[in-house]
Amino acid sequence: MNELTRRRFFSKGAQGFGALALSQLASAEGLGGLPHFAPKVKRAIYLHMVGAPPQLETFDYKPKMKEWFDKDLPDSIRQGQRLTTMTSGQSRFPIAPSVFDFKQHGQSGAWVSELLPHTAKMVDDIAIIRSMHTEAINHEPAITFMQTGFMIAGKPCIGSWIAYGLGSMNKDLPTFVVLNASHTHPRANVQAISARLWSSGFLSGQYSGVALRAAGDAVLYINNPDGVTREVRRTMLDGVSALNGMEHERWLDPETRVRIEQYEMAFRMQASVPELTALDKEPESTYALYGEDARKSGTFAYSALMARRLVERGVRFVQIYHRGWDVHGNLPEVLPSQCKDVDQASWALVQDLKQRGMLDDTLVVWGGEFGRTIYSQGKLTPKDYGRDHHPRCFSLWLAGGGIKGGTVYGETDEFSYNIVKEPVHVRDFQATLLQQFGIDHSRFTYKYQGLDQKLTGVEKAAVVKGILA
Amino acid sequence: MAGRGRGHESGRQFGLYWTAIWVFKKMRFTTVLVFAGLGFACPLAAAPKVDFQREVRPILSDGCFLCHGPDKSTRMVNLRLDIKDGAFATRKMGQVVAPGNSKKSLLYQRISATDGRKMPPEYSHKKLSAQQIDTLRRWIDEGAEWKEHWAYRAPVRPAEPVMKRGDWARNAIDRFVLAKIEERGLQPAREAGRRSLIRRVSLDLTGLPPTVEEVERFVNDSSPDAYEQLVDRLMASPRWGEHRGRYWLDAARYGDTHGIHIDNYRDIWPYRDWVIQAFNRNMPFDKFTIEQLAGDLLPEPTTEQRIATGFQRCNPTTNEAGVIIDEVEAMYAKDRADTVGAVWLGMTVGCATCHDHKFDAIKQTDFYALTAFFRNSTQHAMDGNISDTPPVVVVPAKEDRARWDTLAAREKELIREMAAVRSEADGKLASWAAGERKQAWGGELLALDLKGAIRVKRAEGMAAADFGEGVALGGSPWPGRMALHFDKKGVMELPGLAELEVKKAFSVGAWFYLPQGEESFTIVTMQDAKQKGRGWSFQVSGRVPGVRFYGDEGKSIEIRAGHLDQLTPGTWNHAAFSYDGTGEALGVRVFINGAEARTQRKATAKVEGDFANSGPLKLGNPGKAFDPGGAIADLRVVEGAAGAEQARLMMLWPVVEEARGRGLAELSADEREGLRLLYLLNEDAGYKRLIGELAALEPERRAIRRRGTVSLVMEERQDQKPFAHLLNRGMYDQPREKLDANTPSALPPMAAGLPRNRLGLAQWLMDEGNPVTARVTVNRFWQEVFGTGLVKTTDDFGAQGEPPANQELLDWLAVEFRESGWDVKKFFKLMVTSAAYRQEARATEEKLEKDPDNRLLSRGPRYRMDGEMLRDQALAASGLLAGGIGGPSVKPYQPAGVWEAVAMKESDTRIYKQDEGEALYRRSMYTLWKRSAPPASMDIFNAPSRETCTVRRERTNTPLQALVTMNDPQFVEAARVLAEGSMMAGGDVETRTGYMAARLLGRGLEEREKAVVRESYRAFLRHYDSAPDDARKLVGVGERKAAADVAVAELAALTMVANQLMNLDEVLVK
Repeated sequence: MNELTRRRFFSKGAQGFGALALSQLASAEGLGGLPHFAPKVKRAIYLHMVGAPPQLETFDYKPKMKEWFDKDLPDSIRQGQRLTTMTSGQSRFPIAPSVFDFKQHGQSGAWVSELLPHTAKMVDDIAIIRSMHTEAINHEPAITFMQTGFMIAGKPCIGSWIAYGLGSMNKDLPTFVVLNASHTHPRANVQAISARLWSSGFLSGQYSGVALRAAGDAVLYINNPDGVTREVRRTMLDGVSALNGMEHERWLDPETRVRIEQYEMAFRMQASVPELTALDKEPESTYALYGEDARKSGTFAYSALMARRLVERGVRFVQIYHRGWDVHGNLPEVLPSQCKDVDQASWALVQDLKQRGMLDDTLVVWGGEFGRTIYSQGKLTPKDYGRDHHPRCFSLWLAGGGIKGGTVYGETDEFSYNIVKEPVHVRDFQATLLQQFGIDHSRFTYKYQGLDQKLTGVEKAAVVKGILA
Repeated sequence: MAGRGRGHESGRQFGLYWTAIWVFKKMRFTTVLVFAGLGFACPLAAAPKVDFQREVRPILSDGCFLCHGPDKSTRMVNLRLDIKDGAFATRKMGQVVAPGNSKKSLLYQRISATDGRKMPPEYSHKKLSAQQIDTLRRWIDEGAEWKEHWAYRAPVRPAEPVMKRGDWARNAIDRFVLAKIEERGLQPAREAGRRSLIRRVSLDLTGLPPTVEEVERFVNDSSPDAYEQLVDRLMASPRWGEHRGRYWLDAARYGDTHGIHIDNYRDIWPYRDWVIQAFNRNMPFDKFTIEQLAGDLLPEPTTEQRIATGFQRCNPTTNEAGVIIDEVEAMYAKDRADTVGAVWLGMTVGCATCHDHKFDAIKQTDFYALTAFFRNSTQHAMDGNISDTPPVVVVPAKEDRARWDTLAAREKELIREMAAVRSEADGKLASWAAGERKQAWGGELLALDLKGAIRVKRAEGMAAADFGEGVALGGSPWPGRMALHFDKKGVMELPGLAELEVKKAFSVGAWFYLPQGEESFTIVTMQDAKQKGRGWSFQVSGRVPGVRFYGDEGKSIEIRAGHLDQLTPGTWNHAAFSYDGTGEALGVRVFINGAEARTQRKATAKVEGDFANSGPLKLGNPGKAFDPGGAIADLRVVEGAAGAEQARLMMLWPVVEEARGRGLAELSADEREGLRLLYLLNEDAGYKRLIGELAALEPERRAIRRRGTVSLVMEERQDQKPFAHLLNRGMYDQPREKLDANTPSALPPMAAGLPRNRLGLAQWLMDEGNPVTARVTVNRFWQEVFGTGLVKTTDDFGAQGEPPANQELLDWLAVEFRESGWDVKKFFKLMVTSAAYRQEARATEEKLEKDPDNRLLSRGPRYRMDGEMLRDQALAASGLLAGGIGGPSVKPYQPAGVWEAVAMKESDTRIYKQDEGEALYRRSMYTLWKRSAPPASMDIFNAPSRETCTVRRERTNTPLQALVTMNDPQFVEAARVLAEGSMMAGGDVETRTGYMAARLLGRGLEEREKAVVRESYRAFLRHYDSAPDDARKLVGVGERKAAADVAVAELAALTMVANQLMNLDEVLVK
């Protein structure tokens, strides 16, 4: 128990903790003492491209590589670094330059690939980090590391930490919502995700992300069974309430009162979720912005639009997973489709939030879990190649409250292999994210197994000041 | 109970709206902290002497150990406060703790300082409250009594306390409980009514509610030991083992899929059944432990004992391409050590992965020495995405068990007879060898003759062969014998062997050179590109030889040697495979250097269609851009499925040929062995008969195997002793000193006579001198029945864990359990027949204030049940519950898309195909547990994902849970079936609702309750009378069809009443 909450208890003295507890049912306070300082944002939408988008075809422009086509990656660059066992057996590492063009955009003149024309239009709204790096070399541990600060399952993910620390901003919806968006290309190499990525780990289960589903019930079991109307449910609950009231008199168990409120909350949720998912109420202009795909349940565009609706209704953290980015082969064929899936909607989301005046206190993140190799995995031809996992550098972008739009941060060598300027470790990124919420990552701890557990772990982490306004 | 938050329960006090309920519970906990821990604002709190264990050590641990604790790497000014010598040391400035004089104590001076000398320092983000500082002051002034950490001292049976109310206690538990209750000025509650009592005890012992008949029998049983008899009946039910087993499976992290990445199905449900049976047979807990940790190391282990070791195979595994084996192996070992730590030791050993433990005396070397026990397994890090990742044990169906054992005995016997014949063969060999001995193999389909010009010996005669591009003749391991040497793209083509088809048994063997620095090399392949690669391929990949058969449409099966049989690049080796013409993966054997290899393959795999094709045969060319060179010195394809001896003969063939025409006496050992084999296999009728008999066992064995299943087990490597390297900072790629397997140094050492392997570890855990195992175990059992352990931090009995709420009771129970011979049923009987357990659950304002979380047991236990119990209760009450004990996992109702949303497309647990019939209504513990997407309705009720060991489930109350019990078709259908039952039973509405209440609550409704239910029913009926479509839809939920002639509106209305009753607090809690 921290000092602040303890004081609060003392001030309430010995009388009527029940009344105090009940008063909390209607409130939405976060952890005492948080935020640590004035927050820049109240909420975040994290777009995770599962499988790791290649930085070389998105934000890390390496024009010189054209001359290096099919030449071996110099040992001076590779420096004997660890490789995955998928390519560690290759006898050579031929360089595969991007087959896609880059142009400079906006006032900042940031280079963006032709595969992301919409994103390119908003470079002045976003901060691109080209010098992200991680310790994991395979997807499962890497995604887990990105989301929880640890490679092995069991730690809370970012959304859970935020929910735990800051609490909810609404009465009828979860605090932390997860959407799994579909991808289009049939040959895309798809990586697994799992419930552990929105798990609350050692934090209480209440901070887990709630998956908002594209098919069936939007929230599991939210709909009454066929033939049970809202009125019938109300009648049923009135009875439950009355009977539970008698139950409480019988045993005086405070949890029975909690039970009554638990069912009322469920009832309210049953109303608020359909309202949330009623996309037909959106004007045509919405679809002009997000694209026609947004009409199709489960697409990334649909999920992005849903994310906006969620944060509008006071959801604090929205996580979207889009899969299919693991381009070990057929990169030139698959990657354009992957980019097309997300490009317009990512842009639309930022513009939409901006138009609504919400971008100032919302954080948007776009990125994967590691980068990809400059050298080709498997056969290299002028038109075809693949890229293996590369933890030593990757790119992502952030936008929104407190983020300095038009920033391009960090630099890699000409092979996009090693970082040469302003490295940003996953922990630094996580610390920065918390910072925007007004949280000092080093002080945001939870005692578990006797340790003060942190999202950023025990190693040093630093806020990336260079991307902050 | 000390005045600080810790573990799971620390920190967070104010809630989200979303789950504010949980906060409610916590507040009550906090309130007790205020009273009990700080002795503040509580009228009854005298000022007893400060208790070192409960009050002082936690403050020191929390506030000081980080820099003044066991971890020497972060220790400051060489001061330790976790050991007596450190705390009472005299230093330059004086004594750290001067007993009786806080002013003179450096410790107190520093914690009470107001300047920069104040401890803990600002930068540590740690702070001692005024209360805590005062506690330390009082402790010093009272004489600074010091005790070693309570949990690491062996429990001694304490004397039973004397209480004021002598008549209340039924057994020793009660005397300890009552003493605490009285200490707080409280009175125990009266005994619960029989109806509540039977419901509580049935749910606690079997996980199921009592039937109406059982309730009535108990209520009307006037015998003085009616309750004890009831307890005996419940424990005799096979449902007992299921219910106890379910808790254990959380600890064992049991799941039906591998967990990581593709997350395919795995065969391990026989382990789950073993757990159930062990509880049902009341296996003593020491045996239970030893068999799970080391059943395979017991003398002549039975199938059951091997299945038990599945405990250690329950950890999540991966087959993600690209993973680094060392990393994964380190991860598995850590998981297993952590699990043993949590389940038996109550120690967070994993905290010492990267450095010495910060709070407990667990050194980093302790952690790695513990992992060593589990690193000596034959299991490969990669699970192969197959369900039967070796090692496995075959589990025949019950009716096949005896025959299976007979066949195994017969096999042993034949092998013994063959050995006898072999040992006598040399006598006969001499006369045979002296005569015109035959040198031919017999049944040879193809052989390379590499002695002169390259020739291919085929059944129809010799043919010359051409070199392909990039192939040259070069040296071989035998003087005078050549080998084909391939450059990177070299390939040699030979005419194909069209006679090789799926129904033909054949074998292939080759001497070959695996190139330096390479992992793979293709020996020989015969495939038809025009038929999507139909054919077969014999190659080395990942340094192990294996064969792949490509059937129709490019569908293939692979059989490869296990990881322990890896070849060394840059060496010559012989590899062979034999195929028995059945098309089955089980019909393929792989041999390396003349010995049979363990294989990795999906046992149920079969060749799709046929692999026959017209060739050509390609030697040495992998056909891939980056593949290497290599060499082949001998290659032969022979008819028939080679056994171990034929494979050995194939290996020896180059030397056997050299033995031609030479006298026996001149021959080398290899030559002699080759000749002996040739003689036995071709000439000795008796030996040939034995071989034939051995082979004849195979079809039946395989049939039995097919009817049965397999289960993942643990198996010890025989070629080395358990060891592990300390991993610097826990990094798999930074191995440091080599450590032998050993137990944590903070606990009494392993007896000298114990083997330093898993068996020794298990015996050490159960040793009388082990201070933790018994305590940790009884605490977990206590938690199952009373909701919270006597030590709340079930998995952490260390310095940061919660000191026991009643240590005398805990110790008494621990000694009692151990001395009873680890008798689990006896122990549970002791708990549930105590007066403490039998109390009514009614609270009072005073109890809520002084004992808000019922940690003192001032009233009967009452808390929300787990998701499994809630579903089982609904099934049982409605009469839907089906099936006996055990069996494969099932897939009941689950919302569409739960698996699909997360799974990879390659996963065989991607599409959730709901089962039909009985499988929909089995107990929840049989629901297939996919780790990356656990059963949705269980997940919502705080079930763990089963990815790591869980010895204490959380218990929150969220709106999502209400949605499950209101809307899940499983519950809706159960409500309707219950309603239908009430209609069948006849009577008016009141009788019907009474029928339902009896099954859900174990009692009739009170008048005022009846009024509420009646009113609800009328409203429901009004609706369904006016909306017959709605009524039809509601009664149509679920696979079990409603009777055709039933009054639909009435049934719908009653269904809603049942749904209402099922969602009552009284039904959700036990």
